Amino acid sequence: MRTLVCPHALSRRLVQLRRSLLRLGMALCLPLLTSLPHMARADSDTPVLRVLAWPGYAEPEVVKEFEARTRTRVELTIVDTDEVLWQKVTAPSGPAFDVFAVNTAELQRYEASNRVQPINTNLIPSTERQQPRCRQVAAIPGLVRRTAKGEQVYAIPFTYSAMGLIYDKQQVSIAPDSLNALWDPQWHGKVIAYNGGTHSFSLAAQVLGLPAPFRIPQEGTQAAVAKLIDLRRNALGFYTQPEESVRLFLRHKAALMFANYGMQQVHLLRAAGVNVGYVIPREGALAWLDCWAIPRNARNVPLAHAWINHLLGDTASGLLVTRQGLANTVSPIDQSTSSGNFIWLQPVEDAARREQLWARIHSGASLSKVLAP
Amino acid sequence: MKLGIVWRTGIAMALIGVLASGLTGYYGYTESRALLQSAAEQRLLTATRVLARQLSVGLDNASRDVLMVAHHPGTLGLLQTWDSQPPNHRGNTMAALFDTILRTHPEYFQMRLIAATDHGAERVRVDRSEEGLARIFEEDLQEKGHYPYVIETLRLPPGAVYVSRASINHELGAHAGQHRPSLQVATPVHDAQDKVLGLIVVNIDLDRLFKQLAADLPATLSLYLSNSQGDFLIHPDPTLAFAFDRGQRALVQDAFPDTRKLIGEQVEDGAQQLVTLQAADTPERALVAAFVRQPIVGLHNEEGFVIGLGQPLRAVLADADQLGRTSLRIVLAFSALAIVLAALLARRLSNPLQQLLRALREFGHGSHDAPLPLPVTRHDEFGTLARAMAEMQTQISGQFASLALKQQELDRLASHDALTGLPNRRLFMDRLTQALARARRNQSQLALLFVDLDNFKDINDSLGHAAGDDVLNMMSQRMSVLVREVDTVARLGGDEFIILLDGADNRAEITQIAQRMVEALQQPVVYQGHVLNCGGSIGISCFPDDATDMTALIAAADQAMYLAKQSGRNQLRFASTQGGSEVRSGP
Repeated sequence: MRTLVCPHALSRRLVQLRRSLLRLGMALCLPLLTSLPHMARADSDTPVLRVLAWPGYAEPEVVKEFEARTRTRVELTIVDTDEVLWQKVTAPSGPAFDVFAVNTAELQRYEASNRVQPINTNLIPSTERQQPRCRQVAAIPGLVRRTAKGEQVYAIPFTYSAMGLIYDKQQVSIAPDSLNALWDPQWHGKVIAYNGGTHSFSLAAQVLGLPAPFRIPQEGTQAAVAKLIDLRRNALGFYTQPEESVRLFLRHKAALMFANYGMQQVHLLRAAGVNVGYVIPREGALAWLDCWAIPRNARNVPLAHAWINHLLGDTASGLLVTRQGLANTVSPIDQSTSSGNFIWLQPVEDAARREQLWARIHSGASLSKVLAP
Repeated sequence: MKLGIVWRTGIAMALIGVLASGLTGYYGYTESRALLQSAAEQRLLTATRVLARQLSVGLDNASRDVLMVAHHPGTLGLLQTWDSQPPNHRGNTMAALFDTILRTHPEYFQMRLIAATDHGAERVRVDRSEEGLARIFEEDLQEKGHYPYVIETLRLPPGAVYVSRASINHELGAHAGQHRPSLQVATPVHDAQDKVLGLIVVNIDLDRLFKQLAADLPATLSLYLSNSQGDFLIHPDPTLAFAFDRGQRALVQDAFPDTRKLIGEQVEDGAQQLVTLQAADTPERALVAAFVRQPIVGLHNEEGFVIGLGQPLRAVLADADQLGRTSLRIVLAFSALAIVLAALLARRLSNPLQQLLRALREFGHGSHDAPLPLPVTRHDEFGTLARAMAEMQTQISGQFASLALKQQELDRLASHDALTGLPNRRLFMDRLTQALARARRNQSQLALLFVDLDNFKDINDSLGHAAGDDVLNMMSQRMSVLVREVDTVARLGGDEFIILLDGADNRAEITQIAQRMVEALQQPVVYQGHVLNCGGSIGISCFPDDATDMTALIAAADQAMYLAKQSGRNQLRFASTQGGSEVRSGP
């Protein structure tokens, strides 16, 4: 039987031949192509948002989502004390930050020295999703200020918690009911406290039974310092970040911890497999409501608004709860964590002085050296 | 101009040569470059390992220093008798010892003896400060019981040494070491009952330590140090070192993704190492970096270090670039050679072809007699082709020659009388036309002699045509020898001849020629034993006297011949003297 090569098949063979020749040519030319210099990427024009946040607030997923959505780059700086936050926002040199997370008490310090600017809530439609209590900004001290242009909002609530006591249920059979447990010699070398001046002095004032923990009178300073030196002597160590506190707790088998970050630390410890309890002491727990604010010298204000709006979205709000154990402002309020004896943070009499004294105390100085001018 | 196949072949061969040398050069270059790069990477890795080893040695030295002080009998005594000693003298010897050690170790910030009691109270402390070494006294001594390096060290068995995490020292009053990258190396002090009484701790200036370690490294190398989480502790860009202390992260595994293998808890124990490449926006900034994860053997440390050395890729590839340039030169030289060889080859191919072509073209143009030489002596295909062509040329030349002969014969037949070989009427008419034209132009003269044989018909009838033909031939020869070369004797047909005397202007001369001709014709002809007596009558007309056109001139001669014949045979008669001047000839 004869095989007929129809013109169609012939042309197909020609095409195949040409393709294989082309492939051969490409194989020969490929080494030349690959040696071409890499094309330089031009990403220097991408707008940058400089964010100051507390640990766990701006998780990588949240940042990536924001960067993708706005085609910007986020430069995230984590702060772990109010003092560091203040230093960074008020730094005279270096690029300014565009948005930062701050508690309502500290916020008033920034407002008083004109370091923040009003927020245009119209640019943050996600505030509509917030719980009614969080939307009534006028009812929260420090968020709204009366200016020449009327009442202006200076911060948007983001998350909140209280500074209770964490204890290891294995070592501490009876849950502590007072902050005095931190000074209890029974737990000498088993206590972990927070390395921050403002809150430490408020804590000392609470224990000393001063009427206003945020307003320590001049004559009460010495007693507070002495009390904090006692705390230092009873403590295993001090932390600034939640992860650090967990590491200390685990490594040194601590029994008791002052939870500056509240439920966030409880959540992390339980995730690490420690059977911990959490109590609000009878003196009351210092409670904080962290908000997003925009510094006066922010460089990209519209993008800062977009950031705040993004942080009220599903991703950020969800991660706050699931990963950090913190509350967000969009989910219904959990009565079990929001009830109790909360003392909402207020501006202190002199934050700088408290920090100065605390730095000396933490360095191990004696009472006289701490109080030295 | 279209390229011939020879040149196309030449170009193809040149291209193949260039391509072959280019590819050989390129792959040779890339292979060698990889080898060179690998060698440079190995050197870098070795340097990094040496550096890591030196770090161990540096820490070992520090640990020996603290152990030496801890084992000093005075140390234990000092801790045991501290409170009972007079405040003004206690610790002086120890402070002097610390002072000596700090003097010989510029990388130490401070050295302390810390008690396990009194909340980790500092007993003896010497700090490095701006002004030099300073001993810290009484009120300025601090309690350090809540610092990890105290807690961790006090838990260690006798003779063990603790190495802290690298951090920025924020302890107030630390003088030169304050807010500087530091590392604490400490060892506990035990009494005879193994009860821990205190610790000796030295703060190491991390920057200075590494400056010493890296002092011998070339300036082009950049040094990296990270903790086991990957946080940079030392980085050529100072804003990236200890970024965690400023609330930011700058991680080695972000800058050099391959180092993920060295970071984290899952990494196996023992030294781990790798070489990686860091791409950059510009080739100038690309780095080759070697990293070594260095566990601190024998010391109780919270974490190890990852040490890296980076070298600009440019520097690593400098030798390879030199090699590349050399390769390029070789490739260019061989490409040029390939082109020259291809050109020579093309020329060698084209020469015999051109020769064949020229010969063929010349042959075609008709020079068959002397064809151009062909390369017939070659032993290749060109020789065969040339020989075939030569043979063909010979055949064609021969055929052309015979054709020309035949043509010549045909021409002669067309213009000459077949019997006598004399020009025929046609040729005569041609010559007469030309002679007339010439005569008119030159205003010269010419004469026509019309000859008619006498008695020819009788000979023909009596002895046959053969005899007639013989007579005609004989008469033709006789007439031909009597005239000049320029003159023409033609046979008009039968026994009629006509003679053109070109340039004849002298009647006497003409008469003389005609007279001799009559005489010649009168001579008998012997044919097969018969003597045949013939003869001829001649009529003569002259140009321009008798007529000016050809027909009239011939007619005049014919008329004159007729008259001559009438007046008896062997006569000649001029046309212009009709009836008059008859010339009688013969006997």
